[in-house]
Amino acid sequence: MVKSSHVTFLVALVFSGLSLVDIRSQSPSDAGVARAQSGLQVLYDFSGTAVEAVEDRSAATPPIRLRVTNPKAVERNGGSLVIKGVTRLQSDRSVGRVVDSIRRSGELTLEAWITPANTEQSGPARIFSISNGSSQRNITLGQEGDKYDIRLRTTQTGVNGLPSLTLKPGSARSELTHIVYTRDRSGLTRVFLNGDQVVEKNIGGSTEGWERFRITLADEFGGKRLWKGTYHLIAIYSRDLLPGEVKAHYEVGPDFTVSDATLAKSKRSRGAELFEDHIAPMFAKHCLECHDSATAKGKLDLSKKSTLFAGGSGGEVIVPGKAAESYLFESVESNEMPEDRTPLSSREKELLKEWINEGAEWTLGQIDPVVYEHEGAAEENWLRRLTVDEYVETVRSAVGVDIQREAGEILPKDLRADGFSNTAYNLNVDMGHVSAYAQLASIIVERMNIPEFSRRFERKLKFTDKDMGRLIKKMGKWLLRGPVDDGEIILYRGISTSVASAGGSLNDAVGYIVEAMLQSPRFIYRLENQRGDGSFWPVGQYELASRLSYSLWGGPPDEELMRAADENELFDRPLLEGQIDRMLKDPRAVGQSIRFISEWLNLNRLANLRPASEKYPKWDPALAADMRQETELFFREIVWNQKRPLSDLMNAQITFATGRLAEHYGIPVKGDELQRYDLSQVSSRGGLMTQGSVLTVGGDDASMVTRGLFMLHDVLRGTVKDPPPGLDTTPVPSSPGKSNRFISQVRIDSTSCGGCHGKFEPMAFAFEKYDGLGSFRERDEFSNLLREDGAILIPGEAKAKPFATAAELMDLLAASDRVKETITWKVTQWVLGRPLEARDVPAIDSIHEASQKNGGTYADLMKAILTSDLVCKTKTEFTDSSSNG
Amino acid sequence: MKEPRINRRTMLKGLGSVAIGLPLMEEMISTRAFGANGAPPVRAFNVFFGLGIPAPLQTEGFDDVLEPLQPLSKKLLIMRNVDQVRCDESGINAHFDGASGAFTAEPPDGEAKSGGPSIDQVIRQAHYPDGMPDGMVPTLIAGTYFRRSRVSRYVHSYNYDGTVAATIQEKPRDLFNRVFGTVTVGDDSDALQQHLKRSVLDSVVGQYRHFTGANSPLGSASKGRLKDHLERIREFEQRAYEMHLDEAEGPKVPPRSEIAHGGEADPGGEGIDMRLDDLVTEWRLMSDLYALAVQMDRTRFGALTFLAAGERLRITGDYHYGGRKVFTFDDARQLSASGSGGCSHEWWHKFNESKKNEQLRAHAHMKMREVAYFLNRLDETKEPNGRSILENSLITVSTESGDGRHSDSKRELSGVFHAITGANGTFKTGQIMDVGHEGIDVYNSMLTAVGAKDRLGPKNREQLAVDQIRA
Repeated sequence: MVKSSHVTFLVALVFSGLSLVDIRSQSPSDAGVARAQSGLQVLYDFSGTAVEAVEDRSAATPPIRLRVTNPKAVERNGGSLVIKGVTRLQSDRSVGRVVDSIRRSGELTLEAWITPANTEQSGPARIFSISNGSSQRNITLGQEGDKYDIRLRTTQTGVNGLPSLTLKPGSARSELTHIVYTRDRSGLTRVFLNGDQVVEKNIGGSTEGWERFRITLADEFGGKRLWKGTYHLIAIYSRDLLPGEVKAHYEVGPDFTVSDATLAKSKRSRGAELFEDHIAPMFAKHCLECHDSATAKGKLDLSKKSTLFAGGSGGEVIVPGKAAESYLFESVESNEMPEDRTPLSSREKELLKEWINEGAEWTLGQIDPVVYEHEGAAEENWLRRLTVDEYVETVRSAVGVDIQREAGEILPKDLRADGFSNTAYNLNVDMGHVSAYAQLASIIVERMNIPEFSRRFERKLKFTDKDMGRLIKKMGKWLLRGPVDDGEIILYRGISTSVASAGGSLNDAVGYIVEAMLQSPRFIYRLENQRGDGSFWPVGQYELASRLSYSLWGGPPDEELMRAADENELFDRPLLEGQIDRMLKDPRAVGQSIRFISEWLNLNRLANLRPASEKYPKWDPALAADMRQETELFFREIVWNQKRPLSDLMNAQITFATGRLAEHYGIPVKGDELQRYDLSQVSSRGGLMTQGSVLTVGGDDASMVTRGLFMLHDVLRGTVKDPPPGLDTTPVPSSPGKSNRFISQVRIDSTSCGGCHGKFEPMAFAFEKYDGLGSFRERDEFSNLLREDGAILIPGEAKAKPFATAAELMDLLAASDRVKETITWKVTQWVLGRPLEARDVPAIDSIHEASQKNGGTYADLMKAILTSDLVCKTKTEFTDSSSNG
Repeated sequence: MKEPRINRRTMLKGLGSVAIGLPLMEEMISTRAFGANGAPPVRAFNVFFGLGIPAPLQTEGFDDVLEPLQPLSKKLLIMRNVDQVRCDESGINAHFDGASGAFTAEPPDGEAKSGGPSIDQVIRQAHYPDGMPDGMVPTLIAGTYFRRSRVSRYVHSYNYDGTVAATIQEKPRDLFNRVFGTVTVGDDSDALQQHLKRSVLDSVVGQYRHFTGANSPLGSASKGRLKDHLERIREFEQRAYEMHLDEAEGPKVPPRSEIAHGGEADPGGEGIDMRLDDLVTEWRLMSDLYALAVQMDRTRFGALTFLAAGERLRITGDYHYGGRKVFTFDDARQLSASGSGGCSHEWWHKFNESKKNEQLRAHAHMKMREVAYFLNRLDETKEPNGRSILENSLITVSTESGDGRHSDSKRELSGVFHAITGANGTFKTGQIMDVGHEGIDVYNSMLTAVGAKDRLGPKNREQLAVDQIRA
């Protein structure tokens, strides 16, 4: 063992994905070594001198302080606490924060540095316990003579945590000992003594039954389990430390103390905080319109660290540590900048000043304005009501009834927000929903074969509490997508007793119970546990099962997925990936992906196309449906049949058209019916952007502005600001001698418009030859010759990329990283049901990298998203009742 | 023009499973609403009209576009020079910003959220913190609109978290059902079935109670959503089990609307053709039904919208007022354009102080006539204190901009038309006042005057009391 007093070497430890706290503290004993910080729930380092209490030195809040019930029985001894007599070190209130986090994660680590006073004490004598007396516990570490004894409560071991896990005789000695107990979600349990693993076994069940008991050290609540000895350190984690971490902790030694400075270091620096939370969004909002890589007015580019510090044509603009000497601050403070725009608020100016004075720390690669568009979107964790489509699929999967027609008629429509109609905050509820859910539940039950349905769960059906309770438990778990608790069983049992007392039959009772379950918030919403300590916690196993199924299928988990959740398999990465692979082979995955493309491109819009008859006298409304069908079949072909990367949607040389649509497009008609067309010889078509479903976004006049903005926002994930003051924004129609392109070029060349219009209108240049309804022509109605060449500026890049034809632009888009990233963002937003924001960027970057590395197909992308923290974890909300308070 | 005025004494016609369930004796209208202390109930409604009235035209008194408001002028405080510039959000046009700012004084927060609550909801929370009396529609939002992107263009009542306070009812029949519809649950004549259905609903309520209670696993936003749901269930219970009264005394189900709704109403921002008669028929049905809901004390808070912000309609038809023909609308022809370029919206972009602005004036005048129609319906019913519902309520009328030209967002969001009613003698009426304050200060002063403690806007913002509007 490495004892601390003379340690001077530095151990570099890197554990992938874990945060380590660097503890170069004042203590001579611990220079340059590290302890894991991630998942740390409580840490007692026994520093301090007070004998009345022991402070929690973890960074978790609120801290859980231990009160010493009999201070006279303890003695402080330089970073340790000696138990000499009868006392307890106890939290005075339940430790909800700790219990909830472990219940949620299903993982834990209990670590202790101790020196037992003798090898005779028994009871087991309580070294550490989260309990409620001698026979109710969550976990207890005790000493039984010369053995250590650990009792863990799981759904299998019960409230007393028996049988114990007992170490070999002789494991407990009257000497300084490091003992670590870890258990992962699958039940794999390890015990380490002085850095070495001494036990590995499986303890089944989950920690879901943990209760909000209190912490006690040195004795049990109720007494008579006294432990004597010396405490050097106690720590609890809501995850299982890896063997390497345990070893590292052992090497750090028992005299680890956390200084206030170290605690502060474990948090983001003020400079980083200022930059990430305020300065980057501020630059995005106020500065990058003129000072991004593309425009770089005054040769100043504020989007990257290197260019910011390089300065502009007038020299450096920022002097770290000296706001007063920084031109950037000076110009903002005097309202010289932003030019012709609203000045920064005094609060924003203060933040900028503070950031520069703090050293102008820059922690990002490049500021991408689009990630700040939805600031705060992820702050509120909205539960998700099932969309109409999800409701229909859920009913079909759960009870085998097709309710599509009735649901379509009765349920209020889901409205689009931020580009999708599954955006959680906008899935509100009206009395129309309540009424519809009640009506639909009644219709569904009428159509079900109730005796057959109930036999799936319970063969013998009786009105007795026991039998009916068993049915409710099993049937409820299936319909409500996770276990039902006793309170819920009682609630539904109330219905069956009402039926019984009214002389109804067993089947009546089951029917009414199903009707109630179909209206339950657990059926209509995707309910998840959102409470915790404010940090990110793993989602529960059934929650993850629903996240997977609704993302991949737009419906509930199937029996196999529920089985996997029962078996805790979804927290095992290979098994999780296996489930995803299996689910991707199900036809429901195809349907859900087509719902995505329909939402992304807003294909529902097509049903409402009403082109002006004067301009388009030949318009056949059936073409709108043909266009939608074309896009959906094209997507299915590329994504599912050919399994090509999603970026190939931009330039794949095939399509599907009816004779009517082929004629509309001006390509040789192969017949009236819908057919596949090879476009390799059709230069004007090939890829999503050349399909009528997308080309019609520009309206009757094939607006360059609207089409360009669609490309910018929905294909290239860019942003653009309002027109500056003093500008007439009335659309100018084309006329003899003035084509759309010509008019667009005038705007782009204008000093007042070009700054922004130059960033998006050229994105529509390739499409001038397609009229408002997507027909191809060489000249417009005024005989103006039309063009398709141009150059496109990818957001974030400095130079525009030229193209000679629409086909060349399609190739350019297909090869563009920005387009690929946009697809990743869009699919991720669709899966999460909320707009993405800056906080999500690291996770999305990882998703994108993983999916591209594997081939960039829809399956690759979904797998990367569904195994990411964005799906496997949830941001919890701190609430008083979940604290130790 | 077809104007099937809804009469409170007319008879019920069935509509599918929806029946009508309220006794409509005249005396019930007021007695239900008035409290024991003889005070009228606190009510607040926001009335929005699209595209606005350019500030220079507001200075003409009742001589031109405001002429239709003149008969009600003693019951209104018309406020000029109210500035909503703080609602400007860079990167988004002022139709959207201004519309979001109407009644909230905040810029939007995304496509479907406002930046804060609307005044009616703050007042509702202050006076009914535990919810509305049984059977009441907590917030009634209705409107006629043909621009569907970005919700705050047409929804004008928002919760504290910025989400819509209720689903907007866009068809007269939807509005009717929302207010007067009762729900048939199973077979009415089968008492046993009714009993068991009730038992089902009880268990559903039990679940919602659990998930909105202290031990709920949900965070605050989610809990709030389920609380909303629970409140709607309670309404549903009322209608399903407690309000099956004499159908013969209910109002008549309105005729089916003949104009476009849903996606058809907004074909990709291209605008639609609209005959003036059809539009006015729809508006009046909505006004009648909304006013009836207020008269029947079925709602005390909400919003009514007369066209979305940045509306796109190509209107045709002769417009008459006071026995004279004011104008012949024919937007597309007069603008010499089709599609979106041929919509009345363009007259606002073309506004020029030095020109006649004939078309814009006619359109704005016509909208004022329709707003006045609604206000008049509320003025018909006198309450026990001798004042009309209009006078006893706080009705705020506003719009998106004080100038339709996008070229200067400051100008566009300055001088935004506002008019309010007296709220039972709380505010001055009978005046056209140059207020010269920001909308947020005006709104907050209104909130103070009606006894609401919460304030709109940032907490640390220094409030300026606009006391000149108080009686």
